[in-house]
Amino acid sequence: MTLLATDLTAEGLGYRVDGLELLRGASLHLRAGTVTGLLGPNGSGKSTLLRVVVGALPASAGTLAVTEDGLAHDLTAMRRRDRAQRLALVEQDAHAEVPLRVRDVVALGRIPHERRFGAADGAADAVVHEAIERAGVADLADRSFDTLSGGERQRVQLARALAQQPRVLLLDEPTNHLDLAAQLDMVRLVREVADAGVAVLVALHDLAQAASLCDEVVVLRGGEVAAVGEPVAVLSPALLAEVWRVRGEWVTGERGRALVVSPL
Amino acid sequence: MSAPSLLRAPAGAHPLRPRAASLVVAAALLLAGCAGGGAAAGPTEAAPSPGADDGYPVTVDNCGTEVTLEAPPERIVTVKSSTTELVLALGAADRLVGAAFLDGPFPPDLAEAGADVPILSERAPSAEVVLAAEPDLVFAGWESHFAADTIGDRAELADLGVATYVAPAACQGDGYRPDPLTFDDVFAHVLEAGELLGAREEAAALVEEQRAALAEVEPSTAGLTALWYSSGSDTPFVGGGSGAPQMIMDAVGLENIAADIDAGWGSIGWETVAAAEPDVVVLVDSAWNTAEHKIEVLESNPVTAALPAVAEGRYLVVEFAATEAGVRNVDAVASLAQQLAEVPLP
Amino acid sequence: MTTVRVPPAASAARTGVVARPRGSRVPWLLVGLAVLVVSLLLALVVGPASVAGPAPITPGDVLASAWHHVSAWLAERGLPVAVAENPLSRVRDAIIWEGRAPRAVAAVLVGAGLALCGVVLQAATRNPLADPYLLGISSGAALGAVAVLVLGVAVPLPVAAFAGAVLALLATLGLAGIGGRLTATRAVLAGVAVGQAAAAGVSFVIFSTAQGDSYRDILGWLMGTFGAVSWSSVLIAAVAVVVLGGALLGFGRTLDAFSFGDVAATALGVHVVRTRWLLLVLSALLTGALVSVSGAIGFVGLTVPHVVRLLLGPGRSGNAAVARTSAAVGGVFLLWADTVARTAFAPLDVPVGVLTALLGAPVFAILLMRSRRRGEA
Repeated sequence: MTLLATDLTAEGLGYRVDGLELLRGASLHLRAGTVTGLLGPNGSGKSTLLRVVVGALPASAGTLAVTEDGLAHDLTAMRRRDRAQRLALVEQDAHAEVPLRVRDVVALGRIPHERRFGAADGAADAVVHEAIERAGVADLADRSFDTLSGGERQRVQLARALAQQPRVLLLDEPTNHLDLAAQLDMVRLVREVADAGVAVLVALHDLAQAASLCDEVVVLRGGEVAAVGEPVAVLSPALLAEVWRVRGEWVTGERGRALVVSPL
Repeated sequence: MSAPSLLRAPAGAHPLRPRAASLVVAAALLLAGCAGGGAAAGPTEAAPSPGADDGYPVTVDNCGTEVTLEAPPERIVTVKSSTTELVLALGAADRLVGAAFLDGPFPPDLAEAGADVPILSERAPSAEVVLAAEPDLVFAGWESHFAADTIGDRAELADLGVATYVAPAACQGDGYRPDPLTFDDVFAHVLEAGELLGAREEAAALVEEQRAALAEVEPSTAGLTALWYSSGSDTPFVGGGSGAPQMIMDAVGLENIAADIDAGWGSIGWETVAAAEPDVVVLVDSAWNTAEHKIEVLESNPVTAALPAVAEGRYLVVEFAATEAGVRNVDAVASLAQQLAEVPLP
Repeated sequence: MTTVRVPPAASAARTGVVARPRGSRVPWLLVGLAVLVVSLLLALVVGPASVAGPAPITPGDVLASAWHHVSAWLAERGLPVAVAENPLSRVRDAIIWEGRAPRAVAAVLVGAGLALCGVVLQAATRNPLADPYLLGISSGAALGAVAVLVLGVAVPLPVAAFAGAVLALLATLGLAGIGGRLTATRAVLAGVAVGQAAAAGVSFVIFSTAQGDSYRDILGWLMGTFGAVSWSSVLIAAVAVVVLGGALLGFGRTLDAFSFGDVAATALGVHVVRTRWLLLVLSALLTGALVSVSGAIGFVGLTVPHVVRLLLGPGRSGNAAVARTSAAVGGVFLLWADTVARTAFAPLDVPVGVLTALLGAPVFAILLMRSRRRGEA
């Protein structure tokens, strides 16, 4: 079974609630096998955009489509189950008080693929096992989810997303509660997932991280896309100053170019 | 809104001031009517105090509260049929300024006397309603009527100059609850009420009359068992072993299948009823739960429908108001005895 | 570069892992059935009529009577079976087969149904304190019951109770759905509002209308009792449990999807609002049917799911397993509770709801102590 190369295209996405437009005219294009970073200050609409894409929030404007093997499919017209078989979301750390075993949490990722009243899928166990291994939570597999630390929970959620066998993976600030080593691990994992052919959209806080990880970045500001493109091109000192009010400097080191950020 | 202060408050409240007290005694002497016979026999004290030959002041221990009347009450309010009918039967209808929470119409012999009695409330009355009638005595059928959220706490009412008296058969406290209730108790209570109301002679006469009527009833010797069915359809609420239902059934000569319930009434299971296979069923008839309704319940429940008593309709009917200790108990006995004689038995 | 997805067989071979190892398979299903059958038999032979009086009904009598009925039924169908004599008189036969038997079966059904509803509602509203009466259902049913028992409306009691339950449900869903999505919180709040309003109505009617001892009737119903259960009410409960309960059991996996909130559930392909509506409505209908049979028995729906989760442990706390097990535990528990309620205080017949409430308090205390211990770790 080979991975169907899947791209995701959003055009003019909008989301309005209570008369407030949290997202306006957002367009982006995710390519299979790439990591796209979603950047922006707090309140710029990153989480909203991710939720609209995965279908948890209804778009009030715009289109969302996935292109598989050259064929475009409208995501909003798709059944939710079918959508969930293609897209997976790892939320910002939430809901710690779930007394399920880690293995069972990861197994939740198989739900979109299960038949309602059918017998359990034997192949599912293998996928779950694989996902647990890839996310590096094998030693936590039999622990109860509510006994884990924030970072461990994040990795378990990633495992669950992997168990969904998604073609598009959305992550909302996955490095938030992780210590440095774990952050680097997570970044490496995301890279690996993308290298396996998945189109990844990851909202990040840390600009330097985004600069090194992402093939492309989308900068949000006030619910609108302010810039799209390669990090080096987009994250210019001018943009950084305007959107984040920080000073940014691209330096060239052993590993190539890196972004160094400092106060204005 | 205060009632005439002819009363001394029960223990714990402030006594009248000395000067007022002597005025009170003088007034009492002036207003006192003819005294009745001797002191009442029975479980409560009624001590005629020295200096007055009309029986007043009267002090009784009523459910643990000391009640003293310096003179016959002139403005009586009653709650429940049992107490109202007692007051009417003692000839004090003219002093009855209000009745509340009656359980049904008055019996024929009291109907005329009770025709003009103002009905203060269909249900349990509130403090305002009762006090608006400016009573000097509130005579209640249940102890629960004297709570802070109903008519009022007894001590507080006494402070307002309102005496309170609970039908002694309804006392719940240890040592006050009649266990079991007997006709002697009922008659003693009538006499005590007569003491309080200044109707000693009437009370004695009433008791005589009732004793005679009771003596005329021959209890059945057939050893028949009975269920006293008061209410309830999921679980029947039945007459237990120590209250008025048991007392009445004893006098009629019926054996109560629920006699081992150590209370006036209790809820038992239909299985227990069916296992005991009562020979007859005594149905309590009330406006809110008629005898017909109870018959329907018995006939539609498959467990009881199989009972001979239900299949053959061996029912005796008694009115609710007659099932609480009062002046109608003897009539109930007589009526039930007569009905029993007419019921076709195997 | 490693791949994320590989053919399952190859993966298994490479890593040497087959399916998740299953522990020793205690045949829980068989154990559960055995416990149920034994409990039912016990309930049939135990009762006030078996201890009191000159001729108590012995277990032998019960068995002989059972055989009488079975043999008669077989003989009617032409089978060559000698019809055994019934040692019980008509009345005593009724005690067993029209009194105890339907009561026991109803207790099992109601207990199973309530526990199942508890599991479903706790998962669907993500509220561990949810119980089947969450949406104001028991108060609505009580209002219907009060209309019959106190106001004397001439409608069969179960019908009125069920109608009240349905009306309360509609009111709750209407209130929760007005001007917004049906979220868990809105449903709970609306249920509280409707429940309180109905309860106030019940109290008012009782207070202002009840005379004499008519409050005893409604009191018994409010606490929940199986006193007047007949085979027709068993039928109602059975149909409700099988049809509605069966449907609910099928939602086990979907309930799991709710574990991490609405967003995660949607991302797993669940139509959150629609599913939540469906779960709430099915649970409410089931609860309404059960309440119309036995009154509002409390604590079963609330505590059995928690107890079962404790027993199963985190390893098997998927909602499907919890739901099945809760139904079984709830049914057996309520059967025992009712058996105790009608025998331990003989001749008094205590409403079973009193007992379940009495047992609920220590259960919660234990749960609290356990959670505190874990929380401090």
